[in-house]
Amino acid sequence: MYQRSAFQRQSRQRQVIYYRDLLWSLVVRELKVLYKRSVLGVAWTLLNPLLQLLVFSIIFQQVLKAGEGIDNYISYAFSGLLIWGWTQSALFQATGLITGNRPLIRQPTFPVPILPIVTVTTGLIHFLLALPALAIIMAIDRITLNWTVLLFPLLLALQFILTLSFAYPLAALNVTFRDTQHTLGVILQLLFYLLPIFYTVQDKNIPEWLQTFYAWNPLVILIEAYRAILLNGQLPPTSGLLILAGIGAVLLPIGYRIFQRQSERFVEEV
Amino acid sequence: MSQSPLSNSQPAIVVENLGKCYTRASTQKPRTFMEAALKGFRDMRPEAEFWALQDVSFSVAPGQMLGVLGHNGAGKSTLLQVVSGIVRPDRGAVQVAGRMGALLDIGAGFHPDLTGRENVLISAVVGGLTRREASAQFDSIVAFSELESFIDNPLRTYSTGMQMRLGFAVAIHTVPDVLLVDEFLSVGDLAFQSKCLDRIMQLKNNGCAIVLISHNADQVRTLCDQALWLQQGKAKAYGDPEVIADRYVGNMDLKAQGQELHSYSQEIRIENVYAAQETERRSIDSGTAVRFIIRYQSKQVFLNVIFSLNLCDEEGQIVFNTNTATRELMIPIWEGDGEVALVVDRLDLSGKHYYMNVGIYSPDWSKTYDYHWQRYPFEIHWTPEENSILHPPCHWEISKDDRWLPLTTKQTNEI
Repeated sequence: MYQRSAFQRQSRQRQVIYYRDLLWSLVVRELKVLYKRSVLGVAWTLLNPLLQLLVFSIIFQQVLKAGEGIDNYISYAFSGLLIWGWTQSALFQATGLITGNRPLIRQPTFPVPILPIVTVTTGLIHFLLALPALAIIMAIDRITLNWTVLLFPLLLALQFILTLSFAYPLAALNVTFRDTQHTLGVILQLLFYLLPIFYTVQDKNIPEWLQTFYAWNPLVILIEAYRAILLNGQLPPTSGLLILAGIGAVLLPIGYRIFQRQSERFVEEV
Repeated sequence: MSQSPLSNSQPAIVVENLGKCYTRASTQKPRTFMEAALKGFRDMRPEAEFWALQDVSFSVAPGQMLGVLGHNGAGKSTLLQVVSGIVRPDRGAVQVAGRMGALLDIGAGFHPDLTGRENVLISAVVGGLTRREASAQFDSIVAFSELESFIDNPLRTYSTGMQMRLGFAVAIHTVPDVLLVDEFLSVGDLAFQSKCLDRIMQLKNNGCAIVLISHNADQVRTLCDQALWLQQGKAKAYGDPEVIADRYVGNMDLKAQGQELHSYSQEIRIENVYAAQETERRSIDSGTAVRFIIRYQSKQVFLNVIFSLNLCDEEGQIVFNTNTATRELMIPIWEGDGEVALVVDRLDLSGKHYYMNVGIYSPDWSKTYDYHWQRYPFEIHWTPEENSILHPPCHWEISKDDRWLPLTTKQTNEI
């Protein structure tokens, strides 16, 4: 049994301020480290998706003819890239969190569960920093924003929770099995092709059994919802949002519990 | 020891019957997910148990310092980890009251690419301060680390010592109620070490409860209010630091004697070394004659060899050193057992623990037959509490009417 009581009762308010400051400090640390050694700085975050956009849009649109029937193809593809990019990089980095931050998890007062939150938040900031580029591309495609864009923060919150739900168990799993990150890298790469980023699920070439996969995939629901509010100026289906919220409400506590139960062993195993 | 205003209140740390068990996994245990999947998740269960800590109990009041002594692997670090809460106890209970600070992994969260300034601010927040508090402490932290002129350089340009200093400065400024210290005196140079020590004592006087891990018995003797001696995960002794430090040092010597070192050629082996006086006591009075006897065993006949003997204190500082070659002595050795002795007419060392170190060499020093370092302890007995290495015979005199009169003690002073 381990019990820690506040000796000079720390106010709840200080605790909240402390967690906010800790999260902020660690996110800023991540960003600073990332940009410190690169001349391009923030532009680097954009370069990767822009190059992907260039290559994949040529291949999918010109070679595979997957873009037929999609309006504003470049905006469509780029939004998909950015949305998936956030989750993909956050999950990949979160997996190596515990094994890669030995000094931090050995710090007595350090709240270890904050680490996946830091990673997902850092990913969110990269996503937000890339939005001006998306705005420019949308302007080139002559898309005008509708009021539906007000739902954008809600979708961000849903994606945040969904990503975090997976980040927790993956970070814990990598402590037991050190190849989790490599395996995950492969899976994420495959998911990239399985998700409607450069093509659409409405494509008539997609067989029916695959349609079922798309219909029940929360990531598909999420990407489609983003595109609805940003590109089409439409409200996403309420059922989809409820499914996302429901999945998040179930998976996040489970993922967190797995992480918490494993966290007792982190110091011993890392 | 100084009484802090808080020392009467309830303890800051209470540890009761603490036990920590580590499991040793099977050597067949899969390390990777692929392997585990291929093996059908067999061999995942731990194979053997090992109790790193068993039935350890103690309590530390605010303003008190507990010294934990023990050899490597005795469970000292595990104890700190369990008390700090980063490792769960398997038996017993740990209660800690208040904010915890630790000098365990100094510089946690430091990143080599960030500047000293950025690292200090992040590391202070990681250590438990809010950003506002960290900014308020910043100047004081930098001043303590004495790294003002480097603070805006990237950390990777710092030497290890500088990084440790910065880390220590941050850790010591988080104003904890409970502080855990792991061998802190290995940080930086002597001047910086004593500065750290001052700061730790300052925290203690302000009511901070401290657990200090050390294998330096003297440190525990002088700094701590109580001591805990761990041996193979169990508390061998708990209580007065003076008593426990003495027992610990005595035990360490016994242990060292049991070791066999075969790194020397061993044609002649040192069997035993001991100091003999007229009286049969373990400690020797300062200023008396001492006979240092070296027992050896030889496998062959030698025309001449060199014996060397030196005395050092527990820090390894040699206070006396001599050998048979400087006096151009011939020492023939026959097969079998033998003894040589160095007779010191007066040993004017001050009271402390010392070691006798003995070596046997070939006449041209080219070959070391045997050498024993810090294996044979002895103690010099000397009453006055004076910080001194030498204690030559001396007395005080006073000048009166152009004559020097010896001063006498209080009891015999005639008025």
